[in-house]
Amino acid sequence: MSDDGLLAGMALGEQAAAVAFVRRYQRRVFGLAYSMTGDAGVAEDVAQEAMIRVWKHAPVFDPRRGSVASWVLTITRNLAIDALRLRRAVPTDPDDFAAAAMRSNEHNPEDAVQRGDVRHVVRDALEVLPPDQRRAVVLAAVYGRTALEISESEGIPLGTAKTRIRTALIRLRAAIEHPEGVSDDR
Amino acid sequence: MTDDMNEPGCEQHQEELSELALGVLTGRDRARVLAHVDSCPRCAEELEQLSRAADVVVQAAPEAEPPMGFEVRIFERMGVADLGRKNRFRPPRWAVGALSAAAAVVALAVGLSLGLSSSTPPNQSAAPPRGVVTASLVEHGTVVGRVAAHGGAHPWMWMMLVDSSAQGTVNCIVVTSDGVSHQVGSFVAKKGYGAWVAPLHVDPKDIRSAEVVAPSGTVIATAALG
Repeated sequence: MSDDGLLAGMALGEQAAAVAFVRRYQRRVFGLAYSMTGDAGVAEDVAQEAMIRVWKHAPVFDPRRGSVASWVLTITRNLAIDALRLRRAVPTDPDDFAAAAMRSNEHNPEDAVQRGDVRHVVRDALEVLPPDQRRAVVLAAVYGRTALEISESEGIPLGTAKTRIRTALIRLRAAIEHPEGVSDDR
Repeated sequence: MTDDMNEPGCEQHQEELSELALGVLTGRDRARVLAHVDSCPRCAEELEQLSRAADVVVQAAPEAEPPMGFEVRIFERMGVADLGRKNRFRPPRWAVGALSAAAAVVALAVGLSLGLSSSTPPNQSAAPPRGVVTASLVEHGTVVGRVAAHGGAHPWMWMMLVDSSAQGTVNCIVVTSDGVSHQVGSFVAKKGYGAWVAPLHVDPKDIRSAEVVAPSGTVIATAALG
């Protein structure tokens, strides 16, 4: 069943849909939380809360605004950022996040491809980005850092931080729109 | 709203559209760029495309196996009563007899029962006797066996695998609360099945987790005992 179908089932109170949804997404949700926080306990708290929020808000999910995966993982990301701030904890290094992402595989790749999963496309696109651009876009997209924060933490001018973010995002967009055309054109 | 595709200010907002798409533009800057996007179809379209790209970056995150009992705790919070068949511990019929016999031998030897049952859901088994810690072995979210560590003057460990991916010689490793790994021993699994008992040289109370590890170092299954 598609992600949208499972979410619709959850919204209608179907327990089987909730069970299937949790089992389909628990590794991804926990994986994102853990790769951001580096702490299994914090990651479990974040992942639990994310799943509960998805379950509670399933009726208001709007598929026109993006995919289920994107929605679920954005909720997880935001909760992980909040947890890190609340605990004044040190997040994982974005290079480690990117490296783990690029070498990881889906638990069930065939099923993922059937559901229109774009992970492999994103990983390929991240891999061909220059390291400084990859780091900048991961810092912004995953860790929620502003251009100013990136310029300060990386010790680079604000304009350079903005340019790295923009260039990386434009390249990612091109890779997603034309996945067969991903190439190393640094 | 206007149809002008070259709305004044497009150039100066181009760079910030990426930050807006990534959700990291704040305060006045965000309000200013949003006001421009609202009146500029070209930038609105650009923002939509960049937002799609920004949204998929988190999707590249690696998967990771959640801790033992993760989904059970979620289902409890959701009020989902039926945990489904897949996660129930159901050894095949032939294994039930053989493993029950093995468990009985062990239980007789030490005068305790491990509370094993083919129909008992994971993490909901009867409380083990004092001095014994037990947990389900989990592989990719599915329960594939059980482990029990018994304390006392001569601690020992019992492990059973059913329908796992283990094949050939595998190692049993326990990780204590100080993060140190201890090899307990090795045993042979045949087509995913195997049962084994060995002396334990650490206090069961100090064990955080047990792992079944292939000779290559790949962790096949884990059990959270702590």
